Amino acid sequence: MNLIELEAITFRYQSAEPPVLRDFSMTATAGECLAVEGDNGAGKTTLFRILNGLSFPESGVYRFDGVGIDRAFFKKQAAAKRFHQRIGYLFQNPDVMLFNASVREELAFGPRQLGLAESEVEARVRDCLALFDLEPLADRAPYHLSGGQKKQVALAAVLSLNPEVLILDEPLAGLDRKTRARLLTLLGELRQAGKTMLIATHDPELRDRLADRTLALQAPEG
Amino acid sequence: MIPAWMTVREQTVPPRDGGTFVLRSLRSLGGVLARLKIQRGREGRRSLPAVWKLLLLLGMLVLLSVARNPVLLLAVAALVLGRLALLPGPEIWDILKSALAAALLTLLLVLPAMLLRPAGRYNNLILTGKVFLSVTMVNLFNHRTQWNHVTAALRRLHVPGVFVFLLDLTLKFVVGLGTVLQDRLTALQLRSVGRTRHKYRAVGGLLGQTFLRSAELSRETWEAMCCRCFTDDYKGL
Amino acid sequence: MDVHIPENYLSPASCAVMGAAMIPVWVHAVRKTNRTLPKEKLPLLGAGAAFSFLSMMFNVPLPGGTTGHAVGGTLIALLFGPDAACLAVSVALLLQAVIFGDGGILAFGANCFNMAFVLPYLGYAVYRLMVRLFGGEKAGTGARCAAAAIGSYIGLNVAALCAAVEFGLQPMLFRDAAGNALYCPYDLSVAIPAMMIPHLAVAGLVEAAFTVAVFALVRKTAPELTYGQLKSQPEKSGKKHLIPIFALIAVLIAATPLGLLATGTAWGEWGADEIAEVVVNGKALGYTPAGLEKGWSLKVPMPDYSLGGVNEVLAYILSAVIGVALLIILFKLISIPMKGRDSKA
Repeated sequence: MNLIELEAITFRYQSAEPPVLRDFSMTATAGECLAVEGDNGAGKTTLFRILNGLSFPESGVYRFDGVGIDRAFFKKQAAAKRFHQRIGYLFQNPDVMLFNASVREELAFGPRQLGLAESEVEARVRDCLALFDLEPLADRAPYHLSGGQKKQVALAAVLSLNPEVLILDEPLAGLDRKTRARLLTLLGELRQAGKTMLIATHDPELRDRLADRTLALQAPEG
Repeated sequence: MIPAWMTVREQTVPPRDGGTFVLRSLRSLGGVLARLKIQRGREGRRSLPAVWKLLLLLGMLVLLSVARNPVLLLAVAALVLGRLALLPGPEIWDILKSALAAALLTLLLVLPAMLLRPAGRYNNLILTGKVFLSVTMVNLFNHRTQWNHVTAALRRLHVPGVFVFLLDLTLKFVVGLGTVLQDRLTALQLRSVGRTRHKYRAVGGLLGQTFLRSAELSRETWEAMCCRCFTDDYKGL
Repeated sequence: MDVHIPENYLSPASCAVMGAAMIPVWVHAVRKTNRTLPKEKLPLLGAGAAFSFLSMMFNVPLPGGTTGHAVGGTLIALLFGPDAACLAVSVALLLQAVIFGDGGILAFGANCFNMAFVLPYLGYAVYRLMVRLFGGEKAGTGARCAAAAIGSYIGLNVAALCAAVEFGLQPMLFRDAAGNALYCPYDLSVAIPAMMIPHLAVAGLVEAAFTVAVFALVRKTAPELTYGQLKSQPEKSGKKHLIPIFALIAVLIAATPLGLLATGTAWGEWGADEIAEVVVNGKALGYTPAGLEKGWSLKVPMPDYSLGGVNEVLAYILSAVIGVALLIILFKLISIPMKGRDSKA
């Protein structure tokens, strides 16, 4: 069964403007890894926003695990929480994702929102720090970090919620060689673990190593 | 085909102009950002927990404000200056600079009063001394305390979580927006070779853009919070 | 000159009173923002506070190559709404006091009262009133900018007046046994003109120019981001709203010359011969301070705004006259559209 299902989606930011997505459909099954490609302005980020329930299409249907996702769906707090726990989203700009006083707090934010016991929260934070060797930075304020470090902290914060779907917007952009290699390995492991992944990327190596198939987006004309 | 004027060397000599507001804004902004960034690692290994430092600071400020006994003031001065003397030279200067400026300003402000009413001189000098000591204490505190430890300390003093979270968020935005503003000011400074005729238009542009960016940032941050399972529950922060 | 009150200028008792006065304001503002702001209020307040903080850091160009600081309280209210502005400016002030030692920590309540309560609420109220006078809903960008200018000018000046009153009350309330001031040594007769003249003549105009510059850009590029649409209210309530504002303006005008007159007597009180008689610690001082014989410099309480070179007392009176004249002109400008509307009605 399809985990993610978009049917004839049309989306525009302002009613006067041409649509960013027109009559767009796609599906993804559980455990699949999709590379999302397309020129700048082709609607990759828009697609991801819709998948995360941050934007809503003017027409068309989005079903996640068989349930229609629309504005009404987010009225119920418990359902919204559960939905956001199941889908993890790495923003293209990791800066906006870091809003806590320290890296440690940052990783604890999601698990705490879920209402996990404090000991469980601590365990998760410890593991996520270890995953990226972030321990030396644990008590630093996130805005003091370098761009690559921010990206890793943001991804660690996403993973601390243990989502089953990972939506990553340019995860490798702007990373140095070493960090990039490590992240590629990690993404491979996550794929092995059965996570469903949608990755926007211009990186051919990532696509070749990880993706089951490629989803090519094209800006609609006119 | 490039136009002919582009092929010859520019001969126009731009008129001299202050444009000082750009430079000064850059300077004060740079100071703020540097200060926020420099804090990490300044904290000594055997430093008091931030909660104690904060309580000590508040206690000392109140004491200083109430104090009338010169001996008490001397005691506070001895304590503060003694602590200051243990710091490395450049840091002492950093801390003292603004304290001296504040004291000097106060002295200038009370000077007319001192001249007109000599009987009040003693109190006026005490006031100047108090200003100097308070600013020194506050500087000492935040030079030696990492900001996120301060907010953690507030949390431990049972200040509501929402408020502490708001403080942290604000600081993050100050750094984010401040950096953007700094870049824009630098760009403006590099391009404004001559007289800037529409200074206020420049000010409006700079801060207007900063506001637009701040609106964008707040929306994005809200979305990022939602994606990490935040619902309207402000109590759990 | 700055509206920020530093540490130790106010007595701890005054600080406590002002802090206590802010509590109901904050509670009200929190409740209102909870109801009126969109759900992303927390990041919005953070962004507002950061914006406010940066505005206060920004150096605004003044004629003659110098620069000044704006507070931007009215601007924040125009962009985020007055309640959110109250909270945002409070947070900005707190950060300034704690991290940068700018404005006292104990005086935090007083600073909030002036700059986070009086300034944004009053500035915003005047703005709305002006917009209504300029044609309500249909008021164009030009009219709205004029309204913003008037609102921010009045807002800042009343905030400065509040600070001046807080300063001026200190020597009246807190003296030692010998009758000497323990904190700020200037009473109302000195504090009010010293604060108000530079604010009426310069700082208020800087604030207005700054507010309009930013507000105009935001309205042009992203009007949907400015706070709330002006709600059209029944006419009679409009009339009611006018009274306190005009009373305030009247008080402002009245306060300045009053302060001047009062200062005159204060100078008389401390005649040069009298000072020679003043007794310190049981023995007469026996000399006249050198500075007094030469005439003391009024440049000192307002170093940024002196008219250097001109006889100080003359400069003092002249700038007072200019300030009052500016205010009266402003007052008349405000009343033009109102008269027009009344005659039509």
